[in-house]
Amino acid sequence: MSRKLVETEGPKWVAQGIITTEQQQRLLALYPDDARVVGLLPLLGSLLVGLSALSLIAANWQDLPELVRLLLLLGSMGGAYAAGEYFLRRGGNDSLGIGLIGLGLVLFGAGIVLTSQMYQLIGYDVTGLLAWAVAGTALTFIYQSRFLFALTAVIGGIVQGYSTGQLSGFSYVTAALAVLGLGYYWWRRPDALLGGILATGIMWQAGLLIDFLHTKITWFFIPAMLVYAAGDWQTDRPAGRALQAPPLVAAFLFTFGLALYGETDTYAGLLRPPLMAYLGALLAVFAVSVAGKRVRGRLGSLTDWLLLLPGFYLPSGLALAVATLVVLYAYSGAVLWRAQQEHNADRITLGTTLFILTTMAAYFKLTWAFMDKSLFFLCGGALLLGLSWYLRRAARAALPPKSE
Amino acid sequence: MATPLPLVRRHRLVLLAVAAQVLFLLGVAAAGYATTAWGRTLTLRTTPVDPRDLLYGDYVRLNYTISQLPSRLWRETGRAAQANEPVYVVLQPADGAYEATGVYAQEPAVEPRQVVLRGWVTNSWRHGLRLRYGLERYYVPEGLGRRLEKRPTLLVQVSIAPWGQARITRVTGY
Repeated sequence: MSRKLVETEGPKWVAQGIITTEQQQRLLALYPDDARVVGLLPLLGSLLVGLSALSLIAANWQDLPELVRLLLLLGSMGGAYAAGEYFLRRGGNDSLGIGLIGLGLVLFGAGIVLTSQMYQLIGYDVTGLLAWAVAGTALTFIYQSRFLFALTAVIGGIVQGYSTGQLSGFSYVTAALAVLGLGYYWWRRPDALLGGILATGIMWQAGLLIDFLHTKITWFFIPAMLVYAAGDWQTDRPAGRALQAPPLVAAFLFTFGLALYGETDTYAGLLRPPLMAYLGALLAVFAVSVAGKRVRGRLGSLTDWLLLLPGFYLPSGLALAVATLVVLYAYSGAVLWRAQQEHNADRITLGTTLFILTTMAAYFKLTWAFMDKSLFFLCGGALLLGLSWYLRRAARAALPPKSE
Repeated sequence: MATPLPLVRRHRLVLLAVAAQVLFLLGVAAAGYATTAWGRTLTLRTTPVDPRDLLYGDYVRLNYTISQLPSRLWRETGRAAQANEPVYVVLQPADGAYEATGVYAQEPAVEPRQVVLRGWVTNSWRHGLRLRYGLERYYVPEGLGRRLEKRPTLLVQVSIAPWGQARITRVTGY
């Protein structure tokens, strides 16, 4: 409840005799008018002054002596860290403090780039930028901040992208820093939002590795499902589930693509890694995942692994498309079924969406070729409307009646 | 579970982390000076550059005579150069500037008058190689652009440190 609500609704409550005027005043006193608006003006003012200084420096950057430029970089970075530390120490404005620490970290990265540019230095390896990711990881641990965690995950992705794109080398140290550094942080302080960010960051780097190695893209699912399996071992259920979401989204989209385009042999051919090696690796990850699910008592979520069935080894053709559609139906059906068991409204919505998507794919796949276009759209629309109505009804029936 | 660090310990760690970052930036600057101080300076010739870059841009795009080399200089037997592959280019003096004598996938041992410059293959075809050295952009100091405007072919002085780091130290007209 906010002060605004008490202010606007209070008189009505008094009029209706729910509370007395005195009680309304006491309620108001509970929510002191914070001087936020007044505090905003100097902040905006200093922001403008800062921006003018920034544009002045940027416009004359090339003409400044090297030493001045270096001092400016060091000064702005140190200033941001000092200001952040000041606000954190004073208390009461922690998000501003952490924001400034984050600014200091960004300025460190800018400092690395601008200093090497100033001295016309060439980066032959990623050491320079790796220091940026190391600094981010260190600050994340020192301040235990979710904002710095997310920033560091992004920085790791940038460093890795630069390494593979510009320097033609995958930086295993950067990848290890993300997995071990941020991964350890998340493992000790499980958090749903950070789980999603961590998984996305690691999968981005895994994708860059697959691209760098010029190997079959299906290998991507080995590291991705290792991330998933780590979620199985996490004791904090919501955090583990959040870590597993990005790999599952990737697997679903991949299977979805296979259903749509798997008929052509060229596409399916791109996906087939050596059978024994791939299956061996996948089964090993599967075993880790199953063990985790068993220990944590979550064997119900085994259906997630349906998406990893390597259907692309089947001879391509309509049969492959149909088999993939069956897998997609089985998966979205399983999501719906489990959501109804758990009475989880969000997951019912998710399952419904997946189910409708699958139906759409199946319909496009199987009827486009031999049906009149207008009839096709009419039937498709009717099918989807009917399906969504039925699923919504099922979802409502599954949820317990609202008690409030 | 999450337990915030004790305040005193955190301050010490923050100081340490910030000091390390300051030192690192100073180290990058020092690497620049050290490359000039201990590096071997040599001159590379460019092909004509766009004069508009010199006048209006922050930097000029340099295209060297060693940016494109005939494929006979590729010294690895049995395979062609791959795009994006890191390579070592051996340079030696040839009337006033350095020219390439060989391109290697591993760092080769060279004669005293030769130097090794690191680079990347950007493109490779049957008769030639296109290479990138990271020296293709020169941030033009104030005033230099106007002086060089009429001389589109430039001589670029590059320092190459014993540890392989290279940097442009000077750009002059031909």
